[in-house]
Amino acid sequence: MAGALPIRDTARREDAPWLTLKMREAMESWLFISPTLAGFLIFFVGPLIAVVWYSLTEWNLLTQQATFVGLDNYSDALFRNPDFWHVIRNSVIFAIGLVPLNMALALSLALALSGRFAGVVIFRTVFFAPVVTSAVAWAIVWKFLLQGEAGFINQMLASIGIDGPNWLREPNWAMAAVIVTRVIKMVGLNMILYIAALQAIPRDYAAAARLEGASGWQIFRWIIWPLLGPTTLVIMVITTIGSFKVFDHIYQMTGGGPENGTLVLAFYIYQQGFQFFDVGYASALAMIMFVVVMMLTIFQLVLRRRDT
Amino acid sequence: MKTTMKRMTTTVLALGMMSGSLGAAELRFTIWTGNEAHLKMLNGFAESFKAKHPDVTVKYETIPPGDYTQKLTFQLAGGNAPDAGWLMEDAAPTFAAAGVLDNLAPALNKAQGYDFADFSKPALGLWTAGDKVYGVPFSTSPFVIFYNKDLFDKAGLEDPNALAAKGQWNMAKFQEVSKKLKDATGKWGFEFKDGQGYDTRIMHALMPPIRAAGGDVWANKQCGFDKPEAVAAVKQLHDMVFKDKSIVPPGEQGDYFSGGSAMTINQISRASLMPKAGFKWGIAPLPTGAGGESPVIGQAGIVVFSAGKQKELAAEFVAHMTTKDNVAAAAQFFPPARKSVLDSDAFTKSNNLIPPEQMKVVADAISKGKVLPAHEKSPQILAAMKPRVDALWRANADVEASLKAVCTAIQPLL
Repeated sequence: MAGALPIRDTARREDAPWLTLKMREAMESWLFISPTLAGFLIFFVGPLIAVVWYSLTEWNLLTQQATFVGLDNYSDALFRNPDFWHVIRNSVIFAIGLVPLNMALALSLALALSGRFAGVVIFRTVFFAPVVTSAVAWAIVWKFLLQGEAGFINQMLASIGIDGPNWLREPNWAMAAVIVTRVIKMVGLNMILYIAALQAIPRDYAAAARLEGASGWQIFRWIIWPLLGPTTLVIMVITTIGSFKVFDHIYQMTGGGPENGTLVLAFYIYQQGFQFFDVGYASALAMIMFVVVMMLTIFQLVLRRRDT
Repeated sequence: MKTTMKRMTTTVLALGMMSGSLGAAELRFTIWTGNEAHLKMLNGFAESFKAKHPDVTVKYETIPPGDYTQKLTFQLAGGNAPDAGWLMEDAAPTFAAAGVLDNLAPALNKAQGYDFADFSKPALGLWTAGDKVYGVPFSTSPFVIFYNKDLFDKAGLEDPNALAAKGQWNMAKFQEVSKKLKDATGKWGFEFKDGQGYDTRIMHALMPPIRAAGGDVWANKQCGFDKPEAVAAVKQLHDMVFKDKSIVPPGEQGDYFSGGSAMTINQISRASLMPKAGFKWGIAPLPTGAGGESPVIGQAGIVVFSAGKQKELAAEFVAHMTTKDNVAAAAQFFPPARKSVLDSDAFTKSNNLIPPEQMKVVADAISKGKVLPAHEKSPQILAAMKPRVDALWRANADVEASLKAVCTAIQPLL
């Protein structure tokens, strides 16, 4: 575009002779990005800084009294509050249970549904539908299915002679139940990412390998899997972050119970901030969560870099 | 579109009036009902307030009950305080202690013919401190037993009202009847309030039997869950859930209102669900226990917020809403705390779903009842209790040990 116009670098407009073209262009671009930038500063950077500040205060929302307490909220969470470590433990169990299960299932589904055959779109839609289903409706239906004796799941189990547990009322089973129902709800998203990645791999590679006598497993292990690497990394990072941030699902299914068996970090932060109105403490916990998730992400990136 | 236009016009008008020299004002009043009949009545109060203040309008703002306390707190914290509003009983001590409620005593004393002494003393417990009045209770609604008459008939049993008339409606009978109902009809004998007795309504599940047994969940800053009366009462409930299998157990559904259970415990506002239920029903008092009759009451009050900009006017409106006439007008929905209204025939005949002799049950319970326990730290106490109560509701639980654990957890907060 610049080539079509006369060179105007020294051209100055008569009404604003002090502005060079470069300055004018810079101003224009700032003006163009200013709406997004303003939104980013006001709704993202601002609250982020505010949370850091809040986390250093003891602030009761109702009385509106805030006192600066330094790092007290942090040291209380890390060293004096036994609930905190219980909550972290739950969050880690949730992530360890959810991430591999979700990824394995997503990859299997993607491998099965990445080809072109009659009805494939219907199958993809079926597996993706839960992603767009309301979280509340999802939780209500599963709560029905997972009832103690009258629940559909336990009746099915009973018909083959298995006495199923009261899924959502026993701490360990409740954790397993929330993990599995969450995986079923969210797996469609990762499946789509994997399908896209699989379809981007040229077919020639597999065809060539087959000509050389490679088995199906060898093709997957030595060709497909390495080429899926970048996608796998992205999926692992977002799924891990998502699993640490899980809130709505826990809120609807178990409310953190039974016996605090599914009390995860995001729900605990909600409790402190929005039920006890202890905003300072909740902010400190949110900062801790931020650091934990960031460290995990960096760790995964480093791991990936070392792989390649 | 039309409403948006209307709203905009109102806003523009309101702004115009505010900037003008007229003394026009708008009071913002938060509530948790969206029921049209309720709103019609409330708007009626605003209309009649114009007799004295022709230029004052009242804007009611509905916040869903589940989020009410939370959203209200955020409005107060955000510097956007409403002028007045409803407040739930469990939030009352927290709000009063935080100093966000205005003292209504001067306005109530000034109001002509108000007669504050007409309010039943026990009903004011949560809302007064010395001479100060932080709220006026507008709904003082006792918990009653709702029963499914069809299921009682099917099981060949006398209904709770018949038993109460003979003086036999006690906890032992309640247990016996529940089991017989379950065995004869296959439906659950009893369901806790809204099926939430193991989750959000723990207090509503444990409180009535504990009080019937002569205990309390706490009193004078001392936990009462581990006292012998409470342990005995909870053991009985535990037996009903796991041995008799007559109470809907944790993790199961047995909705009373759709015929899944023969009895439940609730307030009369739920009677509005009954016409759709499709079975014969009635309400009866709570069963008595070793502690005699001990009705339990749920409450809500009207308060004025200290951070509001029109406190005096708002307080005057609260006084207007709670005059004898207006309390009587509201009684069909919200059982009153005014003795004069409670004793009147108008009250027992006010609800067209519940026959007068059963409304007497409600009136009796209000005059004899005690409100649900509330505490400055209610949310923390409930959160601390929850995991220990979860442990209680297992088939093989040691009830006494679980209740001890509840006390260990909540005692520091009391």
